Amino acid sequence: MQAIQTITHTLNITEVFKTASGTIFQSDSENCWYIDFAGKLNRFDYRCLQKLRKAVYHIDIEGLLMNTNRSADMEIVFICACDHTYILTTLEIIALKELLQGTFTMLELNHIIHDRLYRGAL
Amino acid sequence: MKDIMRIKCLISTEMESILNQQIRKEAQSSSIYLAMASWCDRNGFDGSSVYFFKQADEERQHQLKFFKYVLDMGATAISPDVSGIKIEYNSFREVFEDALDQEISVTQSIKNIASLCHKEQDYVTMEFLNWFLKEQREEEYKARRALELFEVIGEEGAGRWQIDKHVGDIKYDSEA
Repeated sequence: MQAIQTITHTLNITEVFKTASGTIFQSDSENCWYIDFAGKLNRFDYRCLQKLRKAVYHIDIEGLLMNTNRSADMEIVFICACDHTYILTTLEIIALKELLQGTFTMLELNHIIHDRLYRGAL
Repeated sequence: MKDIMRIKCLISTEMESILNQQIRKEAQSSSIYLAMASWCDRNGFDGSSVYFFKQADEERQHQLKFFKYVLDMGATAISPDVSGIKIEYNSFREVFEDALDQEISVTQSIKNIASLCHKEQDYVTMEFLNWFLKEQREEEYKARRALELFEVIGEEGAGRWQIDKHVGDIKYDSEA
């Protein structure tokens, strides 16, 4: 937690959305997002964040929960042309999906605020 | 907090997705027309074959228009995979019936995009779509007129030969 606070201060990033399992920050100066999840802090640009969202939203969570195979309960979230890969359990996938859904809702809200308050007044 | 999403891309994710579906639909249309051109050529309907080759080219141009628009707006245009194209037809008339069905289906999907434009107040995409809405008037008119030739000329005797000869003459020149 101390480390995250230090990074937040150093990088000058704003918290976008937070859940019990992770946080997503936005860096205005770098035009990117930092995802603090599953014990690591990863940097995502616009394209990679979109790809991550697509990858996570497309995972069949119901299928994973209903699966009775004796194989490992792990899913690899690999994003093409992106530096990061997540290896997550089903519960972590649910948590990451919740985090991303909240983040994109906040980004949409931020877009509406910009449109209504700032761009309209320019 | 900066609105990075908007800075990077003009259209919404939903709009990007529906436009990519349209890219696929136009590609599919082009392939269907090419299959029709092939069938007509194989069965001795040279005039109709030329007509469908031209239609296939037009659909390909429509696909590229959508493709470039999506890229210009900062979104991701996806090159579609097209499969399962029908290559055999039971009759000369069935080819034109399918062609009209295809155009009606394209018109409907463009109307769906227009509906989303209004919902999202995306007037930029709406303005881009206006060209396609007008184009569909022509496409449906031509497909309907071609099918009407079967009623006007009739298929008996040299009827199909006459129809094939006149398909290429169908023009849409409405100023409205």
